[in-house]
Amino acid sequence: MTAPTTTPVDDPVFDDLDQPDHPWHVVVWNDPVNLMSYVVWVFRKLFGYPLEKATRLMLQVHHEGRAIVSSGPLEKVELDCQRLHHHGLWATLEKT
Amino acid sequence: MSVPFERHGESIKVRLSEPERAAISGLPAVIEEAGGAGGRFEYQVHPEDPAADRRYQELVGDHLGNLRATDREAFAAAINARSLDIEQAEGLMRVIGEGRIVLAMRLGIEADGWEESASVEDPEVAMLHYLGYLQESLVEALTP
Repeated sequence: MTAPTTTPVDDPVFDDLDQPDHPWHVVVWNDPVNLMSYVVWVFRKLFGYPLEKATRLMLQVHHEGRAIVSSGPLEKVELDCQRLHHHGLWATLEKT
Repeated sequence: MSVPFERHGESIKVRLSEPERAAISGLPAVIEEAGGAGGRFEYQVHPEDPAADRRYQELVGDHLGNLRATDREAFAAAINARSLDIEQAEGLMRVIGEGRIVLAMRLGIEADGWEESASVEDPEVAMLHYLGYLQESLVEALTP
């Protein structure tokens, strides 16, 4: 990802990544073009994450190549993926 | 120096000069001509499971393509407007982001750190940086 910022919110914040009843993860992959600030903005916009969490996930994508950004049943995570794709982020699904 | 996009309540003020508007007016066409952009816009949700991915692609059909096309169709009006609502500004930001992805593909950019070796003399590199500047300004304007 490319350099520096922050953002808004569509949906209520919920941190569900560790819940056992969520069989699918949404994985966002690093790319060299999307701005870091834009990626943070997208995570906050689509998932309602606070700035700190969105920034941590963005940095994980940047440094480790990927990060799990949401989890849930298949219907939900496929929609999450499509929304990420609409914003130009490379996202895939994997089973927990 | 004034920023290209600035938030005023629930609207985003646009401050692009005529040369700036002209420079980016062709962006939707550039994205359309790029098609799948070497696979970058051909998203796979289940890359390890072709059958599951086929099911997903059949399920969503052209929905994503239609969303992207709607953003591109609104682009000309957006860059020529004096102010945008939040939804319009978000659509503009997505098109600018896609434009950067297409330019990066054409320039062969595949890894972080490309800025250090990219030639500033290359017009497409210059445009990539300029679009990044615009997108950064939109991110700031859209952040309450």
